[in-house]
Amino acid sequence: MSLKNGPTLTARGPDLASISNRTPLEDARMQLNPSTPTRKPKPPKPENAITIGVSARVLFNMEKEQQIYQQQGLEDYIKYQVEHETQPFNPGPAFSFVKALEAVNTRLRELYPDSEELFDVVLMTNNHAYVGLRLINTINHHQLFIERFCMTGGNSPIGYLKAYHTNLYLSADPAKVREALEEGIAAATMFTQEKMTQVSDTQLRVAFDGDAVLFSDESERIYKAHGLDKFFEHEKAHENKPLDHGPLKGFLEALGKLQKKFYGKGQRMDCPIRTYLVTARSAASSGTRALKTLRSWGLEIDEALFLAGAPKGPMLEKIRPHIFFDDQMFHVEGAAEIGTVACHVPYGIAQGVTKKGINDKETSAAPK
Amino acid sequence: MVSTIQNTDVKQGFGPENMRLKKGIIGKDSSLCLLAEDADPVSSLQKDADRAVVVAVTSRAVFDCGAEDGDDVYGVGVAFPLLQALQRVNERLLEENPAESLLFDVVLITTDSQQQQQSSRIISNTRHYGLEISRFCFSSEEDFIESLLTNHVDLFLSTDRSEAAQASHKGVFSALLNRKVASSEQLRVLFCGDAVIRPDTDSPSASQDAAQSFSAQLGEMRQRFGLLHSPLSIVLVTSRGGRESCGTALRTLRSRGVSVDEAYCLAGAPRSPFLSLLRPHFLLNNDLED
Repeated sequence: MSLKNGPTLTARGPDLASISNRTPLEDARMQLNPSTPTRKPKPPKPENAITIGVSARVLFNMEKEQQIYQQQGLEDYIKYQVEHETQPFNPGPAFSFVKALEAVNTRLRELYPDSEELFDVVLMTNNHAYVGLRLINTINHHQLFIERFCMTGGNSPIGYLKAYHTNLYLSADPAKVREALEEGIAAATMFTQEKMTQVSDTQLRVAFDGDAVLFSDESERIYKAHGLDKFFEHEKAHENKPLDHGPLKGFLEALGKLQKKFYGKGQRMDCPIRTYLVTARSAASSGTRALKTLRSWGLEIDEALFLAGAPKGPMLEKIRPHIFFDDQMFHVEGAAEIGTVACHVPYGIAQGVTKKGINDKETSAAPK
Repeated sequence: MVSTIQNTDVKQGFGPENMRLKKGIIGKDSSLCLLAEDADPVSSLQKDADRAVVVAVTSRAVFDCGAEDGDDVYGVGVAFPLLQALQRVNERLLEENPAESLLFDVVLITTDSQQQQQSSRIISNTRHYGLEISRFCFSSEEDFIESLLTNHVDLFLSTDRSEAAQASHKGVFSALLNRKVASSEQLRVLFCGDAVIRPDTDSPSASQDAAQSFSAQLGEMRQRFGLLHSPLSIVLVTSRGGRESCGTALRTLRSRGVSVDEAYCLAGAPRSPFLSLLRPHFLLNNDLED
């Protein structure tokens, strides 16, 4: 799926590999001390790391190849991939997010050189291994730190996600994303965007919708069934009762854990991770329950933005997150229009179709 | 001294009437290798010595020979799904090309004297289960390796680690059968990438040559089928190194004519959850660690 609304102006996030908060003096010291090793660090054990599984099509732009697959079939698709093996792919929608994760890792390794509490990005693709060398060449070209991958040759990746203790799965295939959610893995569908505005190169910014993303869809159900007034009434009456958790709660929790590691070293003000709640709830009323719920979970969110039903675009434009999670396509599309990388969490009452209804043409052999 | 004899007598007690034994090879310590006349004359003619991929499997892996309950029928062993998968590959190869000669040729071998003495029961059981076995080698622990060599076995499969190691040491390409395989329609062969690029220096070069030759045969067989619905899938797993070592393994296998279907680069992540998901029938170039 690709969203082609809005102007065709495109700008990609800059290379986030080189972020450093060191002073010139510290830099000089490092140069004088040659014992600082420059070898590649070892990937952390899956159970210690925060594992992000990304599919090939969201990490890289494979639009052209996807078209060949859909119009000419698998054999021609593979043939094309192999013929272009040395030609790296361009970045896809998840690229700047992955680069930002690596930048956070660099900061974490500086502060905690022996810790395995790091982000670990795993390439999780349905592609046949025939495409493997092109993917490896591309990872090399863009200097990404991805050492783990699964190329399942058409088989479901869900079991492998679990084997890697995956904390978040990003894919272009909504069916796989739904499957992952059903297995209790935070997941979201990403789309190719014409426009991707510049994002911070010193701070990873992650924005979440509230209902049916961080929280369950229980309140959304009430709104849909009984309307806005009833929704407000209900939220006020249950203000002190925490909402049930939604599919992305665990990921926010993982981010919070890493944030505390920076706070522990006195880096609260320039923490390289910042989280945002961008919700249609309103600050005056229904927002209270959301905040109290987060507090009851022991989770912090850096900025809570209550839009009281207003469009999310302008707010996202100000925040410039690397990624924004929402359960409603309306908001995902709106975000993409202004150039925010937005992904869809197909969870809860807002999904109007049955599992079978969406994308029947997607076969398990479709390369992702 | 190995001598070949023609055995045209129909021996009673060797199984049902249509199981006639055509040719016998007697090994020096009285191991006996028998060529079974297949019910299907076409495939037995086509299993041309040069082109066939000879796979030897131990009887203990094929049947659960434990229970001595008087009932002549054995239980099925760990290698059962493997034999069925090998048969399916042969069927599909012949569907693609009725004149195909690159087929699996399955040899059932006993590797200890206790099994060696069960020869008639073993043969009748293969019949009972409808297994396509073209040769039986009734050897003991002393001479099974020689039987493997005289039968030009391309791959020896056992559930016994030390048997596999012994055979490998004498130059026979060997692999361990995966005990935990779920029954899979598709023959799934797993290459352990770390050994593809850094072969085990303990095994002699003859065994490494045999490994490469078997891989090439497998690769050629795989090419007979399309990308989807293949009865054979080639899987690569690299356990230790990062993406570069997996890339190198992919290139190395490709240079040997092996195109890999699925590739997994673990970079130090624990292997066993992946092996449970991958369900290979056997693992090649494995450094025999679990």
